[in-house]
Amino acid sequence: MDSDREQHAGQIPLPGGEAEVGYQPAATRRDSVRHARRMSNWTLAALIAGTGAATVALAHHAFSSVATTVGAPTTAATGGQAAVNGTSGPQVSHSVATTSGSGATVTTTTKTVNGKTVIVRTVHPAAYHDD
Amino acid sequence: MTTMTSVRERAAAAAWRHVHTGDRAVAVAQREALGTTARLAVWPPEHADAAMAAVDAVLAALDLQASRFRPDSEISWLHRSAGGLFMLSGGLAEAVRVALEAARWTGGLTDPTVGEALISLGYDRDFAAIDPDSREPPPAPVPAPGWQEVRLDGPLLWLPASVRLDLGATAKGLGSDRAARAVMAATGHTGGALISLGGDIATAGIPPRGGWPIVAAGRSGHDGADSPRTGPASTGLSQLVRLPHGAVATSSISCRSWRRAGRVLHHIVDPRTGLPAGGPWQTASVAAMTCADANAAATAAIVAGEAAPGWLTAAGLPARLVSHTGEVRHIGGWPEHDGGQIEVPPGSHVYAGTGPRAGAR
Repeated sequence: MDSDREQHAGQIPLPGGEAEVGYQPAATRRDSVRHARRMSNWTLAALIAGTGAATVALAHHAFSSVATTVGAPTTAATGGQAAVNGTSGPQVSHSVATTSGSGATVTTTTKTVNGKTVIVRTVHPAAYHDD
Repeated sequence: MTTMTSVRERAAAAAWRHVHTGDRAVAVAQREALGTTARLAVWPPEHADAAMAAVDAVLAALDLQASRFRPDSEISWLHRSAGGLFMLSGGLAEAVRVALEAARWTGGLTDPTVGEALISLGYDRDFAAIDPDSREPPPAPVPAPGWQEVRLDGPLLWLPASVRLDLGATAKGLGSDRAARAVMAATGHTGGALISLGGDIATAGIPPRGGWPIVAAGRSGHDGADSPRTGPASTGLSQLVRLPHGAVATSSISCRSWRRAGRVLHHIVDPRTGLPAGGPWQTASVAAMTCADANAAATAAIVAGEAAPGWLTAAGLPARLVSHTGEVRHIGGWPEHDGGQIEVPPGSHVYAGTGPRAGAR
């Protein structure tokens, strides 16, 4: 993976050697960035072209593997295709989703058992389930 | 090979499950993804298989780009490199750009440089793996270095060695936006789709009549309002609303919380202090044209505390705030009654959805 990463995205050494790389005062940093921007157009173009090609290759492999392994259930046809050509959508009366904070919900309850405080923590991956 | 095997395993483990809502005109399915739940609603239902594949591709790519909990992600690789100038992939560059634009728009109420602060609080791994009741006291808070320390010019990122990025205030929203667009592209730009990532919802295409019916939760996990068997009626502090277009996101401090040395911590950090945000609001729901905007604004509202209503009003965004005591405030035209439509103002502050934005850094 590291080798893949190095092909499509990379750390660009700043001019001046290692002594200048790292956390620096703001003015020095700005100067360093300006130096980097002055790299030859050919170098930058080659970098961008290489990045694009490798990213496409990586994305192709990743997306292909995802698309071919997901066990997506088959959808039952309900005659909705006819309505899609119109400008208004279907009548939907039940809520289809909940907007809530970050999905995971933690419920913490405290109770005393035999004189000891017991904290019970329950993690609910989401606020809704269909089963 | 390891990465490809890992992708296959993750995909195989994350199969979609259909959700029966009571309406046959729309297909609804959900799966676990990005440490939370992804939900898809699409019409016509015949589009469901193509839509699910499109969402899978978007989420797999986002996870590889921006998850700081995956050692093989691009952002983890950045952090291991201890600072410098980097050439980012297009996807991560866009995610960082959106996070920086959000920081600029919110005046630093959201800040992608809070990574170190979150780690110091114990949020250093996938949420499910965090020790829920660690006795180890948290170290001194680490205020965010500040988003201005990070420079982005196209795909070139300057990241100081001391800065760790966390894109939590915008990444899920951006993922929903990307997924909604991908679904429409995969289905020939016909029909309509709604994508929810952990409750951050984006829509695209033609909505159902009156808008997508969704529930705005009051207290996550306490009212169960989204159970398909409860029907459209709201319960407790939750509210049924309709979203004709745009997006809605919610931030809440009642979920993703844990304890260290008896102190309850949560994942929304005030960048100014490095501590979990205080303030009167337990939950903030915000509507905007893009989910990245809504995600950032909802997080900013929690961090802003008492100043949230004023900030949201100035931003012109419909919002619903629920306080710790159960008080509900509707702002910027958010409907006060069940079934009301949310009218989302046009335009985006943080995510144009196409290519690099001029002036982003």
